[in-house]
Amino acid sequence: MGQSPREAPLLEIRSLRHEYRQPDGSRLRVLRLDSLRAFRGEALAVAGPSGSGKTTLLHILAALVQPSEGEVLFDGRSLRASHPSSARWRALSVGYVFQDVNLLPDFSVLENLLIAGEISGVPRAAAQERALSLLRRLGLEGRRHNRPAKLSLGERQRAAVARAVLHAPPLVLADEPTASLDAENARAVTDLLLELCGESRSLLIAATHDEAVKKRFPRLVELNKLAELNKEGRIVP
Amino acid sequence: MKGFTALRIALRHLRSRAFQTFSVVSITAFSAGLAVALFLLAQGLRLGLIRAAEPFDLIVGAKGSPYQLVLNTVFLQDVPVGNIPWENCAALSDDARVGFAAPLGFGDSYRGYPVVGTTPDILNVRVRASDPPWLRIGEGRWCFGESEFEAVLGARAAAETGLRVGDVFQSSHGVVQSSHGLAAGGGYGHKHEEKYRVVGIAETVHGPYDRAIFVPLGVLWKIHDPHHAHEDEEDGHAHEHGEAEEAHDREVTAILVHPKSYTDAYSLAVSFQRSADKQLVFPAQTVVRLFSLMGRGEAFLSAVVWAVGGCALLTVLLVLYWSGAARGRERALLHVLGVPRRTLVFISWLEGTAALLAGTLLGELAGRAGAGAVFALLSRTTAVTPAVPLTWQECLAPAVFLCAGSLGSLAAAWNGSRTHMERLG
Ligand SMILES: Nc1ncnc2c1ncn2[C@@H]1O[C@H](COP(=O)(O)OP(=O)(O)O)[C@@H](O)[C@H]1O
Ligand SMILES: [Mg+2]
Repeated sequence: MGQSPREAPLLEIRSLRHEYRQPDGSRLRVLRLDSLRAFRGEALAVAGPSGSGKTTLLHILAALVQPSEGEVLFDGRSLRASHPSSARWRALSVGYVFQDVNLLPDFSVLENLLIAGEISGVPRAAAQERALSLLRRLGLEGRRHNRPAKLSLGERQRAAVARAVLHAPPLVLADEPTASLDAENARAVTDLLLELCGESRSLLIAATHDEAVKKRFPRLVELNKLAELNKEGRIVP
Repeated sequence: MKGFTALRIALRHLRSRAFQTFSVVSITAFSAGLAVALFLLAQGLRLGLIRAAEPFDLIVGAKGSPYQLVLNTVFLQDVPVGNIPWENCAALSDDARVGFAAPLGFGDSYRGYPVVGTTPDILNVRVRASDPPWLRIGEGRWCFGESEFEAVLGARAAAETGLRVGDVFQSSHGVVQSSHGLAAGGGYGHKHEEKYRVVGIAETVHGPYDRAIFVPLGVLWKIHDPHHAHEDEEDGHAHEHGEAEEAHDREVTAILVHPKSYTDAYSLAVSFQRSADKQLVFPAQTVVRLFSLMGRGEAFLSAVVWAVGGCALLTVLLVLYWSGAARGRERALLHVLGVPRRTLVFISWLEGTAALLAGTLLGELAGRAGAGAVFALLSRTTAVTPAVPLTWQECLAPAVFLCAGSLGSLAAAWNGSRTHMERLG
C-alpha cells in the first residue's frame, strides 16, 4: 500500500461527527468516523447505503463543510472550511469528480480542463500540454472542442477524471463517479481513476455503493446509516 | 485565478445566454435612450428658442396675445397678429430712449416661406453690441430700393426654394403651411400679380429668419393698396379714395425696438402699458414664460421617464437574478474547483454590469441620434436650430440606471453565492 512506517499520513481523521440541524430544530446525525489515516498513493473506497453520509464526508474532506465535531488533518494541518484560504487550498490540493454535471456547459471539453488548470495555477503551456495528452489517452482528443452536452455520459465522466487529475493534486475525491454509467463505462472510469491517481501518487477517495467498483479498491471504509435525534437529543424510533 | 479568467467566464456566459443578454441590453438601451433623448430635446429646444429670440430686444405690436406676437415675429410661426399704423414706428425712431426701430410687415408668403417687409433699419440689429450685424448679405446686395419689387432670400429659403439671384417669383397672400411644413401657399389666398426679382441672398443667422424672404416694406404697402389691387377693373373708382385712406394702409405688423439702455427699455414698457391698442413685449421674457408653462408638461414627462426607467431596472434585475440563479450548479462547481466565493460574486456582478454598460452606452448613442433626428425635423420646418451640448446632465439618468443596476446585480450575485453550496454533491 505504498506507505512506509516513517511516512506521515496525508490525511488523518479524529473522532469525526456530523449532524445537520433540521428546520424543526431536531438534529440529523449523518456521519460518525472515529479514526482514519490515509497516505499518498493510496486508493480508498467509501461504501455505504444511500443517506449514510458519503457525500457529507467528501465535503468535509474538501473543506466545503465544517464538521460538527472532530478534526481532519491534511499534511498535519487542521482543515478549516469556509475559511477564505480554503478555496485556494482546494484549488491546489484537491481534484473532485461528481456523479454527473462535472463540466461547465458553456465551455468546450478542452476549455474546461484549461480553466481548471488556471484556477489551480498551472502555467498555461504546461496545462495545455497535459490536457491534450490526457484527452489523447482517454480517447477524447477528437472531442476536445465539443461542449459537454455533445458528449455521452461515459465520455463526460472520463473528461471529468482528466479535469480532476490535471494538476496532479495530492488528494482526489470522487463522489459516486460511476453511478450514472453502465457496467462497461463504470469499469473504464474506475480504471482511469486508479491508474491516473497512481501515476501522480494522489490519495484517491471514492464514494460508491456499487459492489463491482468497491472490489477494485485496495482499502474500504464502510459507513452506516445513523439515527435521527429529536430536539432533546433522544433517538427517534 | 486571474481576473482575466473571471472576465472570460463572464463574457462566455453572456454570449451563451444570448437572448437574456439581448433583453438586458435592449431594455437598458431603450430606457436610457428615452431619458437621454427627452433631456436633450427639452434642453436643446430651450437653448434654440432662447437663441432665436436674442436679436429681438423689444417688440411692439398690436394688443393681443404676447405669445402670438413673439411666435409670429421671432419664430415666423402662426398667423400674424393685427397691424398697427406706420406712424408708431416713426414715433419710436424719434424717441430719445430708442437706438433704432425696425418695422416688420408680415402676411405674404412664397411656397410657405414668409415674406417679411422691412426697411434698412433692420441691418442695425446685433445680437450683442460687439457682434457683427445680425443680418449680412452673402450674395448680391440688399433690396431696400423703396418701391422696387426686389427681394433678398434668407439662407434656407434660398437653398430650399432653389431661387437664385436674378430669378423672379410671385408671392401669395397668406401664410399657410401644410402639416409637414412645406409650402401649400399656392392654394391659399390669391397670388399677387407682381413679380419679385431676387437681388441677394443673406448669410445664415442660424435661426427662423433663415426662412424669411426680405422685401422693402414700401412694396408690401403697394401690393396691399386697394387702389392698386383693383386698378384694372375699376380704374376710375380707385381714384376716388382720399389721402386719409392711403395713410391708413401704411401699416406694420411689428416693430423691432432697440432701446438705448435697460432703463430706457423699462421706461418704454411703462409707456406702452397704458396703450389701448398696442403692446410692448420682451421676447426673451416671453420665451422664458412659455417654458414655465411648458414646465409642468416637462415635469410630467420626466416623471414618466423615471417610472419607465424604474420598471426597466426591475425587469433587468429580475432577468439577471434568474439567469444568476440558473447558474447555481456552475457556481458550485467552480467553488469546488477552488474559486473563492468573492470571485464568484465578482463574475456574476461582472456579467450583469457588462450587459448594463453596453445597454447604457447604446442608449446614450440612440438617445443622441433620436434627439438629433427630431432636431433635424424641427429645424427643417421652423429653422430653430437647437443646440445639442454634451453635458454631464444628459448622462445622469443612464449613470443612475447603471449604478442601480450594478448594485442590484451585486445583490443578486451575493444572494446566489449563499445558496449555491446546497447544490453540491
Ligand atoms: N445540507 C443538508 N441539510 C440537511 N440534511 C442534509 C444535508 N445534506 C445531506 N443531508 C442529509 O444527510 C444524510 C446524508 O446525506 P449524504 O451525505 O448525501 O449521504 P450519501 O451521499 O451517502 O447518500 C441524508 O439523510 C441527507 O438527507
Ligand atoms: Mg451522495
